[in-house]
Amino acid sequence: MGIAPEAQVETVAPHEARAPSSPKQVAKDSLIGKRIAKLDAPDKASGKTRYIHDMDLPGQLYGKILRSSRVHARIVRIDTSRARRLPGVHAVITAADVPYQRPLGVGKDHLPLKSDRVRSPRDEIAAVAADSPEIAAAALKLIEVEYEDLPPVFDAAAALEPGAPVLHEGKPDNIAMTFDYSHGDIARGEAESDVVIEDTFRLHYVTHCCMGVSGVIADFDASGSLTLYSQTQVPFLHKREFAEVLGIDPGRIRIIQPPIGGGFGSKLDIYPFEPIAIFLARATKRPVKLVYTREEEFAVSPTRQPVVLRLRSGAKKDGTLTFREVETLHDNGAYTSWGATTPFVIMQTISSLYRVPHCKYHTSAVYTNNPYAGSFRGYGNLQGTFAVESHMDKLAEALGMDPLEFRLQNAQEPGEVTGQGMHFKSCGFKDCLRTAAGRSDFQRKHREYRAAQAKSGRYKRGVGIASMLHVGGGAKIYPSDGCGTILKIDDFAHVTVMTGASEIGQGSETVIAQLVCEELGVPLDAVTVVNNDTDITPWDVGVHASRTTFIAGNSAIGAARKAREKVMAAAAKAIGYDAAALDLRQGMIVRAADGESIMPLAKLLRSLHFSDKAELVMTTHYYEPPSQHQDKGFKGDVSAAYAWASQVIEVEVDTETGIVRMRNVWGAHDVGRVLNRLGIEGQVEGGVVMGQGYALTEELIVERGVTRNPAFRDYKLVTAPEIPEMDITFIETMDGEGPQGAKGVGEAPAICIAAATANAIYNATGVRIYRLPFTPENVYRALREGGSKK
Amino acid sequence: MTADTYLAPKRLDEALEALRGGEATILAGGTDLMVQSQSGKTPIGPKLVNIRRIAGLAGVVRADGEIHIGALTTIAELLEHELVRTHLPSLAEACDHFASSQIRNAGTLGGNVCNASPAGDTLVPLLALGASVELAAKPDAAVTTRAMPLGEFIVGPGKTQRKPAELLTAIRIPVPAAGGVQRFFKFGTRPALDIAAISLGLVTVKEGGVLRHVRLALGAVAPVPMRGVRAESMLEGRRLDPALIEAAAAAARDEVRPISDVRASDWYRRELVRNMVKRMLTDVSQS
Ligand SMILES: Cc1cc2nc3c(=O)[nH]c(=O)nc-3n(C[C@H](O)[C@H](O)[C@H](O)COP(=O)(O)OP(=O)(O)OC[C@H]3O[C@@H](n4cnc5c(N)ncnc54)[C@H](O)[C@@H]3O)c2cc1C
Repeated sequence: MGIAPEAQVETVAPHEARAPSSPKQVAKDSLIGKRIAKLDAPDKASGKTRYIHDMDLPGQLYGKILRSSRVHARIVRIDTSRARRLPGVHAVITAADVPYQRPLGVGKDHLPLKSDRVRSPRDEIAAVAADSPEIAAAALKLIEVEYEDLPPVFDAAAALEPGAPVLHEGKPDNIAMTFDYSHGDIARGEAESDVVIEDTFRLHYVTHCCMGVSGVIADFDASGSLTLYSQTQVPFLHKREFAEVLGIDPGRIRIIQPPIGGGFGSKLDIYPFEPIAIFLARATKRPVKLVYTREEEFAVSPTRQPVVLRLRSGAKKDGTLTFREVETLHDNGAYTSWGATTPFVIMQTISSLYRVPHCKYHTSAVYTNNPYAGSFRGYGNLQGTFAVESHMDKLAEALGMDPLEFRLQNAQEPGEVTGQGMHFKSCGFKDCLRTAAGRSDFQRKHREYRAAQAKSGRYKRGVGIASMLHVGGGAKIYPSDGCGTILKIDDFAHVTVMTGASEIGQGSETVIAQLVCEELGVPLDAVTVVNNDTDITPWDVGVHASRTTFIAGNSAIGAARKAREKVMAAAAKAIGYDAAALDLRQGMIVRAADGESIMPLAKLLRSLHFSDKAELVMTTHYYEPPSQHQDKGFKGDVSAAYAWASQVIEVEVDTETGIVRMRNVWGAHDVGRVLNRLGIEGQVEGGVVMGQGYALTEELIVERGVTRNPAFRDYKLVTAPEIPEMDITFIETMDGEGPQGAKGVGEAPAICIAAATANAIYNATGVRIYRLPFTPENVYRALREGGSKK
Repeated sequence: MTADTYLAPKRLDEALEALRGGEATILAGGTDLMVQSQSGKTPIGPKLVNIRRIAGLAGVVRADGEIHIGALTTIAELLEHELVRTHLPSLAEACDHFASSQIRNAGTLGGNVCNASPAGDTLVPLLALGASVELAAKPDAAVTTRAMPLGEFIVGPGKTQRKPAELLTAIRIPVPAAGGVQRFFKFGTRPALDIAAISLGLVTVKEGGVLRHVRLALGAVAPVPMRGVRAESMLEGRRLDPALIEAAAAAARDEVRPISDVRASDWYRRELVRNMVKRMLTDVSQS
């Protein structure tokens, strides 16, 4: 057993072998800003990654859920006896069979298994665990449910009318959530305005379309401790939520996240299927795997929130914005998930994208029998920016100003604090505007295309510009917005970073490793990031708000710096140098002045370990950003940094069919600093395409509460030939708080695409469209009607 | 959905014997059947007969003034075939806009015809080209065959005159006159992998500027792929000019009978029919 310490001391790690044995100059080798392939790329590209769909536990059963066939009804009777008798079925459960369940989700208005009433056709009534998915599906067909229909409501405005069907007891007005915000004095702002415009914008349902459908495996051990193999984006908060819903001790829940096949916000809440899998595992004393079909994924997973947004804005003749007043109505669907809270982000855009002296905002999320809305990359900001940036164009035109000049005049500078209290410490807003406009030749094209509108011809070209503001340094929506890191360096100078931050494909693992390499002077392959097990990794608030690189990155840097201090102190002692005269480069301890190598880091670590003092290098760090939890009026500096982007889009509109072809996107992004160029390019390109889908092709068609297109055949994702040429520039503002100067970028690239597209279509055709998506039929209809201001 | 019996005959007469009794489901490329059986739309019968291994049921030949296309010819094969590209360019065009490479490699012409979707891509050019279908059966010792025009064969969405014991063996198309005009247009909401919201096929002969033998077919605008007979009769024997083009396009728009579904509204389909017929005729007038 074991190797003698002496033998271990002589073992050479592979990267150590490459280090020079005789004194030699070692160059500083920074990975920051380089093009680094994601650490998980080889496995993903070669099909080796084991997603939850590929995982099977010994003795595992398969769960399936029976959902309501009615939109709104009372459950009169459920008969599961035939299903229970089907060979291969191990458990059939309904609300009556579950000893304890509590409502879940953001609004706590949602029982995992519905007991007496269904409010949408996605509602869970019963569930089966069986030897195979086929048997489970067959068993569902044997369950009989008798309903008594209740009057439904499918329109948020109608749900507010007196006498509308009430969805939840205790909520007689059907209002799930409201937000009110103001700064300044709207009346004064309006009085000072030379132009005032008002429009209503209508935003539609879209859904995430993760490549990996939702799924979970629940497994109890003999002592009753639960392991969940989960795709959650927020493992630590969900431990607590699961504990509440199930009535078990959160300390006995362990969440392990196998590689997640896409999140985009969809896995930010817990959904009934997860407790249901747990109920089934408990009932059968076997591991239960429950994975959605693609149709389920479309029909029952949450959507981006549909919004009706009425916006009034004003400006003075000299081009100064005066005020914005907004009222929004959100279709909450039957239950309250994160969708209802997206006004929190929309509000930031309304109050602080450009200087807004006076602002007022009222919004309500209203219960209907429609699908319920969750969180989705951009979190309301796509909706808000569509309205605001359409209005920026309209105001410029009303004032006779160039759309770029008008924006530049109202864009903020570094150091400004907005009416909502956001402090723009680093701010590349104007650089973004100028860069996107300059690289696209926006002003010339805008003039020429407008002049060409009147000419005959089937195809019309247009350019449009839009910008966005989003949090770039976390968002303190909980009392803590932090992330913990545990870091150890082993005897071979291999670094293991245990971070609370989850990887959902965004590339955080790679960036965290790079940041650690930067501090410890080790090569990338000497770093392993562990980020998927709540029993091992320290607390983190979750993957949301474009926060992971910023928060988890800073946390990892903190832990690495502590390790570096230890190492340097030990080196100084061992070598007899002053620690300040030493540096770590490429796994070597070197003389800082000239890079002359002194000894391999691994050797130092071993001598530290196998000494009288017997010390290992292990550090911990918890990073809490210097941001504020906003007050009751939503004022405060909610993020440690803010990010901007400006995008110019050129379109070609086919006036005979309404097809809008997105030809080019010129994007300029204030990202603080580029950490992984390959990663950030991928992030931006993917975001642009997601924004393109939102703008042009994607729509979940919901009729009377039922999703009519639950398949990729009729839910149109953008395909390769439609993707525009992209010209992306990164504006490096070197944020003072950001890890190596970086800010968050995860959500940014998708946010202003729809707005810029609306402006481009207007530039091409002279027709402004106030509702999304710009599908051929919608655009054609708008062109025929000369604008659809419904 | 599972079948009790699975057969994969290698000879036509064996296949026809297997179909006798009418309880069999025919499997060709499976690109419609598998999707439809999974969704429960087309239950698979107790007997599943895979016809892909039958010798001699694939390929394109020219004989007796006709082009004869075996039922098992795949869309990919049609797209590449010299006879199709030379004589039936509108069919080649339809195959080029058909699904994706994977589906074109598996899907067969016979399957597209028997599936009888109003949006079936090959049906529109086939209708404009005056194609007929050939059916075979073996009620007793001898194999019997019959043929009928494609327009009669398809009777409703997913419905044909094929009897349960019959196999579609071939599509036959009279070789179009040399120098004739053929056009095909498919409108989907995106350039790749889309089901037609409307499609158009035009086959005619331009003799000294005068249109003769005009056949205009329209897809996804009625329960079955249909001929635009009113537009055809306005065009027959006439020279194209802007007023005639406008009138014929309007006639086509008015004679289609589209529905509204998740892909397009009836109004939009009619608008597209008018605009695209106009575009097609303008193009023909300039060629
Ligand atoms: C992703 C995808 C995209 C698609 N895109 C398109 C598209 O763009 N355009 C389009 O037109 N279609 C499209 N389809 C539909 C389908 O691919 C075509 O209709 C194809 O031609 C069907 O041929 P098959 O050989 O696969 O038929 P199968 O699925 O094997 O059969 C179809 C039907 O015809 C019957 N049948 C087949 N051959 C015979 C025969 N010889 N005699 C009697 N009955 C027979 C079968 O019993 C079945 O009912 C698409 C399908 C998929 C899955």
